[in-house]
Amino acid sequence: MSIAKDTPRPPARRGDVDDRWIARRRWARAGWTYLFMLLLSFLFLGPFLMGTLSSLKDDPNEYPPRIVFPQINPANISTAYRLGVAGGGGGWSGGLTPGADIDFSFRVRQPGGANEIPRVSVPARRPGAGLGAVRSRALANEYVQVDGPTVVRREGDVVTYRVKVTYPRLTRQQGERVFATLPDEQSGADFTATVGGQPVKITLDTPEAQQVQYTLGSNPQQPVELVRSGDRYYLAGPLIERTPLDVNLARGQTFEGADLPASDVQNFGRAQSFRNITPGILGYTFNNYQRAFRESVDADSGQSLFLRWTLNSFAIAITKALAAILFASLAGYALARFDFPGKNLLFLLVLFVQMVPLQVTFISNYLVLERLNLLNIWGLLLSTGIGAAAVFLMKQFFEGLPRELEEAAALDGATPFQTFWRVMLPQAGPALGALTITTFQGAWNDFFWPLVLLKGNLNLTLPIGMLSFREAYGAAGDYGLILAGAVLSALPVIVLFIVFQRYFVESQTGSAVKG
Amino acid sequence: MNTQRRQEITTALIFLAPFLVTLAVFFVYAFVRALYFSFTDYNLFNDPTLVGIKNYTDIVADSLFTTALANTLLFAFITTFLQTVFALIVANILNQKIRGLAFFRTAWYMPSITSSAVIGLIFLWLLQRRGIFNYLLTQFLAYAPVIGTLALVLVAAQVVQVLIERARRLPASWFDPALASVSALVAIALTWLLTSLGVVGVRDVPPVDISYYATTARIGGVLPVPLATIIAQNTFTTVPTLMLFFLAGLQNIPRALYEAAEIDGATKVQQFTRVTVPMLRPVTFYVITTGLIGTLQMFDQVAIIGAAAPLAQRITLAYYVYSRAFAGGVSEVGLATAAAIVLAVITLIIVLLQRRFFVADEAQT
Repeated sequence: MSIAKDTPRPPARRGDVDDRWIARRRWARAGWTYLFMLLLSFLFLGPFLMGTLSSLKDDPNEYPPRIVFPQINPANISTAYRLGVAGGGGGWSGGLTPGADIDFSFRVRQPGGANEIPRVSVPARRPGAGLGAVRSRALANEYVQVDGPTVVRREGDVVTYRVKVTYPRLTRQQGERVFATLPDEQSGADFTATVGGQPVKITLDTPEAQQVQYTLGSNPQQPVELVRSGDRYYLAGPLIERTPLDVNLARGQTFEGADLPASDVQNFGRAQSFRNITPGILGYTFNNYQRAFRESVDADSGQSLFLRWTLNSFAIAITKALAAILFASLAGYALARFDFPGKNLLFLLVLFVQMVPLQVTFISNYLVLERLNLLNIWGLLLSTGIGAAAVFLMKQFFEGLPRELEEAAALDGATPFQTFWRVMLPQAGPALGALTITTFQGAWNDFFWPLVLLKGNLNLTLPIGMLSFREAYGAAGDYGLILAGAVLSALPVIVLFIVFQRYFVESQTGSAVKG
Repeated sequence: MNTQRRQEITTALIFLAPFLVTLAVFFVYAFVRALYFSFTDYNLFNDPTLVGIKNYTDIVADSLFTTALANTLLFAFITTFLQTVFALIVANILNQKIRGLAFFRTAWYMPSITSSAVIGLIFLWLLQRRGIFNYLLTQFLAYAPVIGTLALVLVAAQVVQVLIERARRLPASWFDPALASVSALVAIALTWLLTSLGVVGVRDVPPVDISYYATTARIGGVLPVPLATIIAQNTFTTVPTLMLFFLAGLQNIPRALYEAAEIDGATKVQQFTRVTVPMLRPVTFYVITTGLIGTLQMFDQVAIIGAAAPLAQRITLAYYVYSRAFAGGVSEVGLATAAAIVLAVITLIIVLLQRRFFVADEAQT
């Protein structure tokens, strides 16, 4: 505005332009500037906010896109909580546990004659697609009983029905509830599970329990609930992730609503299916986030890959940041303060390194690590190296510090390392802050080298994991999980940024202004 | 050489040791080896034999390489140009004493701190055929009459007001902010009135469904559309940071320079070209240099778009190197490294040329 908008002709007489006229302009200009800044913020944050909001939707690709949708409706969230509690898995994480007793109601408009009672069922619907489809889990339909629907209320044409879904326990024993995991394979005659790392034998005291032992036993790493009575363990039943429900209306009937909106509607609105009637808040509003953790599992160990990718990213980023703090500042200090042969050559090399694309050096580095059998996350950790840019930054910083401190330390008989460690490094707080954060951010977001190195691994970093999400789900247009993963993988850097933004801004603008 | 000097050298070496080791293994050795591989027929499994400059002549004859080269240069120059110009313009608009800048600054940094993978996926989602971006375009077209009315009334009201003020011999500029506020209010009120009277209204338009990835279309017959989406995305993520660089640079320019220029009778435009631009030269140099180095190595988004777009529409040199080395059935390391060396040489030449021009410019002024 200061350039183009400010080309007034000089007033005929100064007195004509009074102070109020000028003040009015100043206020108005401030208003426009803030408006402009707000617009910029929308523009810069828009895609990210849209992605975050849509990651809560059942179908982020819905067209036209809605800003207000069932998953963020407080009434639905509180119902999801109630149903989660009823399912026994808790109001937050949801799920279906032995002994659960769930009431689920829905309303149907039945104009004269269409009095047939709708059919409801818990279908055999396997959770997960893409990466998660390989995993086998106990399904609700094998364990629950569905009663109803029974008519609760009639208001004109609209009939309210209630379905009762119960999950009877598979044991008659009473005692302490114990959570356990089934082994990868049932070997031998006994049915066993792992409790706190120890294998235990499970007693199947009812015909129902004996009936399910083979189907249940074929789910590796399946979590189950046991009852301990005396020194024996009895099977209460598996912990089931979700409870799907289908409602099929007769011809002439229309669906008026339910405790939770249906997740899929087919057959002209007469087939309403609910992905999960025991979702809990995480399973309902944050379903895609839960999926990101649950569906990306290692087929062998059953562990969540997404969790491991996150931990890997943290480990790599922290290691890189620590290496930068220690080694880059040592090297930068040496370049700034010591005189040694080849110093100028080394400095030129530092500048040169920053210009050579990674694509030149990656093949040799790949071969070196291949020779060491380190084409995995450990190789990535080892090959972090020390960034030339980091050394450059620290050199510039130390050159700006006065020499008096070091001279005083030297007079006191400090060794060069003591001088560096005790005197100079503590002075470098701001530069180290900037260095740590930019290194952390760079490592967290690093893409090319981890992609090359971790090809064929399951043990990835988050950005490469996101690429595998994209490959597994993108083609099918299942963006819910991709967006949830993207948001989750961006969160740590955003938090880090908000906490330490002072250093961020200083480091980046600082290096720019100094050129 | 006395003992003190020898001691200094030893200390320096000890301090530098970790850095020198990684530099030697992961850079110098790797660089020399890449140079060597580029003159051999190495394919990860054979013993490399020297083949002279065959790899270089082969890639020049490879149409995929020339496509990648053209894409890379287009991408680097357009992106660097756009991000620098946009950042400079926005920084100039914001270069005022404003409260609350720190808050907005935090918000604006967001695109540049999130990873290319995250932003890439979000853009992939936004730019689907029935995605948010096309939806917004559809809405814009539908509301075009209303928006047009609003804009027309705004401009008309502003012109009328400025003419009145000038008739009263007040120094109102065409962009006078106070008058613009009044014009905006008038425009909103009148548009609202016209809409409720049904004179203008929302049109029915078919949903826009431009395909941004699965397409062979080229903008202006040159720039592939998928590549243009990467340009847009990269500009989007870098403008906020660069803008803050420029803003810091602008706020470091002493006010006295502008005052002196004003006394000498320089217009605002002259002040911009004669004071602002030369004073911003160090920042501009940094922004353009890092911009060029970064954009010449574009790889991430190309990989993330993946099979969604045809290879020729998105391939860059960095991706060419990667696909020759790893993505195909065979690893043509010789070809890959030759292409990588070409990329390095181009980077070096562009940076040196850029440096030369900037330094020469500075000598003149």
